[in-house]
Amino acid sequence: MGNKTKLMFEFVRGLVAILIAIAVAFILIFLSSDDPGKALECMLLRPIISNGAFNVNSILTILGRMTPIIFTGLGVCVMFSANQFNLGGEGTLMLGGFVAALIGIYCPMAAGLHPVVCIIAATVVGGVVMVIPAILKVKLKVNEMVCSLLLNYVVMYIILHFLNNVLADRTKGQTQTLPFQETALVGDLVANSELTFGFIIALIATVLTALFMYRTRWGYSIRMIGINESFSKYSGMKVGAIIVAAQVIGGMLSGMGGAIEMLGRYNTFLWKELPGYGWTGMTVAILAKNNPIFIPFAAFFIAYLNRGCELMSIYAGVPAEMIDIIQAVIFLFFAAEQFMSKTRQKLVVKETKAELKEKQLAAEGGKA
Amino acid sequence: MAEHEYVVQMKGIAKVYPNGVAANQGVDFNVRKGEIHALMGENGAGKSTLMKMLFGLEQPTEGEIIINGEKVVLSSPTVAISKGIGMVHQHFMLVPSLTVAENMVLGMEPKEKGMFMDYKKAVEITEEYSKKFNLYVDPNAKVRDIPVGMKQKVEILKALVRGAKILILDEPTAVLTTQETEELFKELVALKEQGYTLIFISHKLNEIKQITDRLTIMRAGKSMGVYETADTSKEEISRLMVGRDVVLTVEKDKAQPTDSVLKVRDLEYTNEWNKKMLNKISFDVRKGEILGIAGVEGNGQRELVDMLFNLNRPDSGTVTVNGQSVVGQPQKKIREMGVSLIPEDRMTFGIAGTGTIEENLISDRSADKRYNNGPLFNMKKMHEDCDQLIEDYKVLCKSRKQQIGMLSGGNIQKVVVAREFSADPCLIIADQPTRGIDVGATEFIRKKLVELSREGAAVLLVSADLNEVMELSDSLIIMYNGAIAAYFEDTSMLNDTIMGEYMLGLKQQSEEEVRRVQHGE
Repeated sequence: MGNKTKLMFEFVRGLVAILIAIAVAFILIFLSSDDPGKALECMLLRPIISNGAFNVNSILTILGRMTPIIFTGLGVCVMFSANQFNLGGEGTLMLGGFVAALIGIYCPMAAGLHPVVCIIAATVVGGVVMVIPAILKVKLKVNEMVCSLLLNYVVMYIILHFLNNVLADRTKGQTQTLPFQETALVGDLVANSELTFGFIIALIATVLTALFMYRTRWGYSIRMIGINESFSKYSGMKVGAIIVAAQVIGGMLSGMGGAIEMLGRYNTFLWKELPGYGWTGMTVAILAKNNPIFIPFAAFFIAYLNRGCELMSIYAGVPAEMIDIIQAVIFLFFAAEQFMSKTRQKLVVKETKAELKEKQLAAEGGKA
Repeated sequence: MAEHEYVVQMKGIAKVYPNGVAANQGVDFNVRKGEIHALMGENGAGKSTLMKMLFGLEQPTEGEIIINGEKVVLSSPTVAISKGIGMVHQHFMLVPSLTVAENMVLGMEPKEKGMFMDYKKAVEITEEYSKKFNLYVDPNAKVRDIPVGMKQKVEILKALVRGAKILILDEPTAVLTTQETEELFKELVALKEQGYTLIFISHKLNEIKQITDRLTIMRAGKSMGVYETADTSKEEISRLMVGRDVVLTVEKDKAQPTDSVLKVRDLEYTNEWNKKMLNKISFDVRKGEILGIAGVEGNGQRELVDMLFNLNRPDSGTVTVNGQSVVGQPQKKIREMGVSLIPEDRMTFGIAGTGTIEENLISDRSADKRYNNGPLFNMKKMHEDCDQLIEDYKVLCKSRKQQIGMLSGGNIQKVVVAREFSADPCLIIADQPTRGIDVGATEFIRKKLVELSREGAAVLLVSADLNEVMELSDSLIIMYNGAIAAYFEDTSMLNDTIMGEYMLGLKQQSEEEVRRVQHGE
């Protein structure tokens, strides 16, 4: 198939997967809501339009919620491109938030510098943690999926230990740290909204990651290793080092996302469980076919649905868990390699036949 | 001729693979009961595809299949077997760690007390069929330990046990020695006399003339017609197959070899099943010559090539290129020494299938200064170089951005060759460089190999294609059982008979004679 037909096919295939998922959601909504019409309106329209006008607040919320999942999505992109199914996005994001919180609380600094230092520290720590599954994979052939998955919980419980036993602010009714210093916060892009400067950083990170993956020798090596490791080794690439690098970069991106989320939307550290952005990042990366440029679009789609379901549960009494079901169905159809393969085969046959005909005509023309 | 005389009728068969290759375009194929019918054609002509559809491994895009007058849909090999069709694959479908008897009854094991496999019964069945068809096999031997010829007999028996009346043999002689081939032919004729129908895929003219009754010739996915073997001359068949009288002789001047580039000394390797694959191999390849390695496949050639590129480690021995050791060195270092490798398994090692042509062309040089004068790739230079390579090596494609897996085998190999040859190598290791690709690409690659050797590269050519090694090599080694059976300094006096004797281990040169390949010592 030509590149254009292929792109078109993938686009249509994605669209169909999404439509099927929404159709499944419709069925569930009809079953669980007293007022399905209103529920649908809440889910599909109200995130951007309410009472006939643009719902500016809601749009800002959607953009704000895209921020952390863009980061985890980018991280997953890099790791999956190297064929490394590292699921550590969850843990590294939480740890990134925690590290940023610590520096935000205990290390006073000038206003402009403070968040920068916090974010850099979180990025570095995120990368360092991912060295563990990466090295174990390369040196001892430990499955990176199992290792990183378990590592998430190790990270979480270490954080909880410090939060509960060492850092807790005993004057408060719930377990939380002391408040961050004012200088450490990531400012709002639009006052009094969930949209912070973090969104801009996320977009910059998207462009940089895309350039890294498609315009540098390291990104190139990561992608080639993802396609065919034997080929990459034979071609003279340092396969082991690059597998480690891919996972470290993945960890760095989600660590950075954690810091930005923490300093942008909170003023004290109070995460007591894995925040879930890592898992969403995987959905986003799969929707984007591991191409960094598509990550913000996929993140927008997920954040939109998320917001829609939230509104649906507030105004129409449909459980907010609906979003998980929809995500799962999309995931299923995207990941299913053979989904719509018959249509694909038909397209291929059609194109090949046209080509053969053209060739024949050309040959006959040549003779005449 | 009445229609019902045909046991197999395939009408208007078309097959388009998911990668867009139209392997069959409206093929008609008919086989009479009790004949040996040859299906001929070059590699890539669509023979295997047609047979895969007859055995239910692939589904036709268009057309119908009629077996014994009944229209059928062969949705899987199980269905095909139930219709009495059996296939002996070119690459044997046997489980190496099981015994012959266990392989024979795989999937239809005789049961004891309803639960356990009745091994005794399996041996009995094997012996019974072995005797009945006069195909000798050892039921209790592990498949990995038996010779290739016997493996093939196991495959044939396996099909017969499953009730096959129509046997498809996919290039059965490709892996056999001359003597084994003769034996196989006797067995095939015996089967025919017992009323079996045989479809014999091959592109060896002599064999076809020797045992087949009729033949169908395929070219570029189409049938070129059906012929009585006796009435058709070899020249005619050749013309129909190739379309023009291609004589693949590559003109070359006499080699003037100078210093040794590659030196291999006392290389030994034992594989994971404790089989000694390389036994004290020593040889040199000199600048300006093509040294060929011939031998029946599986006599250590693959293991040897792996060692030369450090894709595997020898138990002992040394490999040096211009004095630098290769053993244990990363591939990057080996490439920097000026070694290029055209790998035998091009889909696994040669390319990244879903990558673009460009991405595949730069895989060994992506870190070069030429493309990295800043943090980002110099895409302009990369595009220029790739377009140049595509033009120089005549790769047929839409653009450098096309996915390489969509190309035909010959064009994929041209991309591999373009990359390896353009790296300015001082040593080229070409492992089966033209296997399974079309005549045009074959000719092109062979010419390039000769050209590069005459320009001063050392070339090591490993090939199972006898014509190829004899035609291209300046001097030649024959490998047998992990050792060098013979060394010929001059290949012009060689013929198949002499080579066959060494390849089969009937003859063995003395140590002094073999040692001549270690030049300058």
